[in-house]
Amino acid sequence: MERSEHGNRSDTNTDYLFQLLCFLKLHTYTRVQVSIDICGVDHPSRKRRFEVVNLLRTRYNSRIRVQTSADEVTRISPVVSLFPSAGRWEREVWDMFGVSFINHPDLRRISTDYGFEGHPLRKDLPLSGYVEVRYDDPEKRVVSEPIEMTQEFRYFDFASPWEQRSDG
Amino acid sequence: MGPHHPSMHGVLRLIVTLDGEDVVDCEPILGYLHRGMEKIAENRAIIQYLPYVTRWDYLATMFTEAITVNGPEQLGNIQVPKRASYIRVIMLELSRIASHLLWLGPFMADIGAQTPFFYIFREREFVYDLFEAATGMRMMHNFFRIGGIAADLPYGWIDKCLDFCDYFLTEVVEYQKLITRNPIFLERVEGVGIIGGEEAINWGLSGPMLRASGIPWDLRKVDRYESYDEFEWEIQWQKQGDSLARYLVRLSEMTESIKIIQQALEGLPGGPYENLESRGFDKKRNPEWNDFEYRFISKKPSPTFELSKQELYVRVEAPKGELGIFLIGDQSGFPWRWKIRPPGFINLQILPELVKRMKLADIMTILGSIDIIMGEVDR
Repeated sequence: MERSEHGNRSDTNTDYLFQLLCFLKLHTYTRVQVSIDICGVDHPSRKRRFEVVNLLRTRYNSRIRVQTSADEVTRISPVVSLFPSAGRWEREVWDMFGVSFINHPDLRRISTDYGFEGHPLRKDLPLSGYVEVRYDDPEKRVVSEPIEMTQEFRYFDFASPWEQRSDG
Repeated sequence: MGPHHPSMHGVLRLIVTLDGEDVVDCEPILGYLHRGMEKIAENRAIIQYLPYVTRWDYLATMFTEAITVNGPEQLGNIQVPKRASYIRVIMLELSRIASHLLWLGPFMADIGAQTPFFYIFREREFVYDLFEAATGMRMMHNFFRIGGIAADLPYGWIDKCLDFCDYFLTEVVEYQKLITRNPIFLERVEGVGIIGGEEAINWGLSGPMLRASGIPWDLRKVDRYESYDEFEWEIQWQKQGDSLARYLVRLSEMTESIKIIQQALEGLPGGPYENLESRGFDKKRNPEWNDFEYRFISKKPSPTFELSKQELYVRVEAPKGELGIFLIGDQSGFPWRWKIRPPGFINLQILPELVKRMKLADIMTILGSIDIIMGEVDR
């Protein structure tokens, strides 16, 4: 556990997520009331590339952040039975990253299109995606086709010409 | 109930299982307005990302901008000058009034009363005019900057705003006369969708939904950000937890916002409106005053604002609830992960629970009183 300087926060890396959160919820000193946010983070350079961050709020208005690492095939235990507000967040982590949960009551896609393949917020999916959708008049429905980039992707690299001056 | 709605709810699809007219189950399906805001944020510098953020909650736009700049400000320990803070508070409270007004209109339209829908747009036009004079855009203002605001208020804006405040107080009285004691309204709304205090906390609700269930929790008082404790105002809350309580909370929040705006306008200090230190190119060394680098702190803010390699959660009391950003910085201009915690997303989770024993017509009442904006729910 470590403390960072932005508020009362401790993070911990653990594989026993459910037990830890159960402890945090019921113990008198850290009575966690709400799961504010569950966020997935992708660090492709690490071996266990995904990190699932649970942000919790205690009864005394401080925040605790619990982090778990996973890779593409590890499954994490859900915390939905402890905090009902976590249900949709876990669906979103599954949808956006592909980190699945064991025994989740309702694990479906939440934000992406019906029939979307892939997990958008992973760093290897490009910003513009792979397919684009358009309404096709002869077929009278929406079809998805491979993307056609009419403008090249502009990456703004802001190394200013004056910044070199600071080193030399 | 398909993704398109006749009233301004945004694209939300509800699959409702009915037994006659009783609702057995209701399942909201989101994702119709998903635009990938979080992925876009990983490829944009903060100053580039500011136009995107107003599209999350497009009715209370200042809050999304406020939180987008509050994150990097806290990461970089940048102090906001007093005048900028007061102006931000004024804009935020005007935005709160605008958002509550546009909640009220469609809420009444769903219940069946069409006239408030037109009245609120009249008020909202006044707020739009004020915003346009100060920021240049009616709705999607790109006003907040890291370290302050983009430009100072024009001459005469303060008087116009004070006039609006006086006018609006009479209008709120008119709404109360028209709606609050109307027996048809009370029949539709009283006792519908009751949420208890404990249940509200468990489900992670925030904002007027939490305050209507008897818990006086307001982030403006709890977190004390942005010079809110220099004004005198009260948290508005009710005890019952039904849709009528939520309506009353939002209506009284509008009068509280007017109070805050009046106090802020009368006490508006002079001074700079932006912290120019945040615009410098190079943070690592302190340049001499009037050095070569200082001559480039000019009109455009530098896009090379570096987010340090830390994680931070900032939050703001948006009119819908607790809007939060979980920001993980990489040592570069682009954030590594920008997670938006929308209040509507969480508040919507309670909908299937609430409608379980209600009639079909009550779904719209409850959905209206939860006050969701699909732009932020789907991002």
